[in-house]
Amino acid sequence: MPGEEIFYLSVSELAKRIESKKLSPVDLTHAYLDRSQKFGSRFNAYALLTPEIALEQAQAAEKEIQHGHYRGPLHGIPYAAKDLLAVKGLPTTWGAKPYANQVFDYNATVIDHLNSVGAVMLGKASMIELAGGMGYRFASASLQGEAKNPWDTTCWTCGSSSGSGAIVAAGLAAFAIGTETWGSIICPSAYCGVSGLRPTYGRVSRYGAMALAPSMDKIGPMARSAEDCARIFAAIAGHDPKDRGTVPIDKGAFTYSPSMELHPRPLKVGWLTNAWKSLEPGIAKPVEAATRILKRYFSSVKEVALPVGPWEEAGGIIVAVECAASFRPLIRSGRVSELTDPLGQLAGYVNEQYSAADYLQALKIREIAQKKMDSLFETFDVLAAASQPVPATPLPLNLETGLVFPDPLGALGNICGLPALSVPCGFADKNLPVGLQFVGRAGDDFAVIQAGRTFQSHTDWHKNHPKIH
Amino acid sequence: MANKSDSAISRREFARRAAFVSAAASLAPSNLLEAESIPVRQPAQQPANGPKLSPEGQAEVESRIQSIFAQYGSRLSDAQKADIRRLSTEAQLPLDRLRAFATENGDGPGLYLKPLLEREKKPSPKSAMPRPATAPKNP
Repeated sequence: MPGEEIFYLSVSELAKRIESKKLSPVDLTHAYLDRSQKFGSRFNAYALLTPEIALEQAQAAEKEIQHGHYRGPLHGIPYAAKDLLAVKGLPTTWGAKPYANQVFDYNATVIDHLNSVGAVMLGKASMIELAGGMGYRFASASLQGEAKNPWDTTCWTCGSSSGSGAIVAAGLAAFAIGTETWGSIICPSAYCGVSGLRPTYGRVSRYGAMALAPSMDKIGPMARSAEDCARIFAAIAGHDPKDRGTVPIDKGAFTYSPSMELHPRPLKVGWLTNAWKSLEPGIAKPVEAATRILKRYFSSVKEVALPVGPWEEAGGIIVAVECAASFRPLIRSGRVSELTDPLGQLAGYVNEQYSAADYLQALKIREIAQKKMDSLFETFDVLAAASQPVPATPLPLNLETGLVFPDPLGALGNICGLPALSVPCGFADKNLPVGLQFVGRAGDDFAVIQAGRTFQSHTDWHKNHPKIH
Repeated sequence: MANKSDSAISRREFARRAAFVSAAASLAPSNLLEAESIPVRQPAQQPANGPKLSPEGQAEVESRIQSIFAQYGSRLSDAQKADIRRLSTEAQLPLDRLRAFATENGDGPGLYLKPLLEREKKPSPKSAMPRPATAPKNP
């Protein structure tokens, strides 16, 4: 049976051992399942463990590899899928009581993609109910309860990919799939000290995934490194006729291999001066150190400001209106009252009142924002800033009153569908992780991955992990 | 920081944001708005600690609140009604800022993939290879 260190190896390292038959996918899956069964509930990390599926997939992988049919770097690698991705025959709860018994008879495209490359699904990761689309006031807004941060179980993981963050940070799976409409990959990645990729809108099919705000929903990997994110992204990216939001065939696919790093393009970094109003002192110090790394190893680093405009207002309206439409039956039936969070029980009523004229004004503003952001990428390959201005927050915190700050970068990045990658860049007080994010031009996911790879090739923050006993 | 504190939106993914972004009453079913059984509040009821709104803004807030109460009021406790009143009120200033942003008649609604698609006819920066020093700039 593999030792403790195996749980924190990267996908790339695990793949080497599996391909060379030094590591059995079945043994690895057993080990991760045991660990997940032992520690998963401590963090409220899983909505569901699926040991039978996992072992069946692991045995199939092992048999294929033994017969010389190695499918690639995810073959035999255990992962968890956020519980808004449909898996045929299994409960897919969307983290919410009204959907606790929901079962689909088909797989999400992402699940099919991961099946096709031989990945092993350990279970479904817990999440904030309805991915937070109806609003939430407390970290406990989940069918599985509050997700506890493996670095400090009195703190939250952030949401809505809360279980995905906890699972990767605690070494309960080699990677997890998260989703982001606004912040739900980047924030948990930062709070949990893992690497998380929010792909360009439309690069990954949402077929079989819960719709929150269809013009902003994205699916992406959370893992141990930028390279791992690239490998997973390569497996799940691509045009899908079942998701009309996916980009055309020639722009959807993503290929990655380490050899692509042999001739990296020199990256010009725009360091954002106004992504956050201020950083907590515990965040500022490691972020400042990270900028020194950027200045040393990147082609250039110049300060730049985000354009000013009502981007948050526009993004907020788009999310609210589209979410109200996505969950209209829930709102109108009154079953919205079954949601856990007091804010989630009400926000749908408020959001439903929006006018079409205001929604279209928000869409007009989105186009203006897209043009402004696109012009920034004439000068810079990636923009960079702290992933979050604060470290993980205490579990009981009222998020509505206790966590208030502007987030223009989150708004612009998400309404414009821009790719972003959060990587660990140090620790704040109480040993809580700090994240650095790179944001790229729409379609240039490789730039943010390359930026993360470059940063991680000169730092080892991503190799740190919490002590789990 | 570009954002002034008085324009800051509460930050927690969609948490408060999704609740904040509220509505003008123009899509409210007219039959509900006209129903005689709905008690119409005077538009001057600003919460003590709420944002300072114009009379027009406050009237709009009140209209939204009454629309919600008309449709869903029987489901809501007094505390929830107070929460809806607060959320609806707090949504107004962001809405005002959104409407105040100048857009032209010809500005199109932002289809989410447009910047990417616009570049289809232009050189793409997607390659892993280094860019030549003379790489053309997008106009």
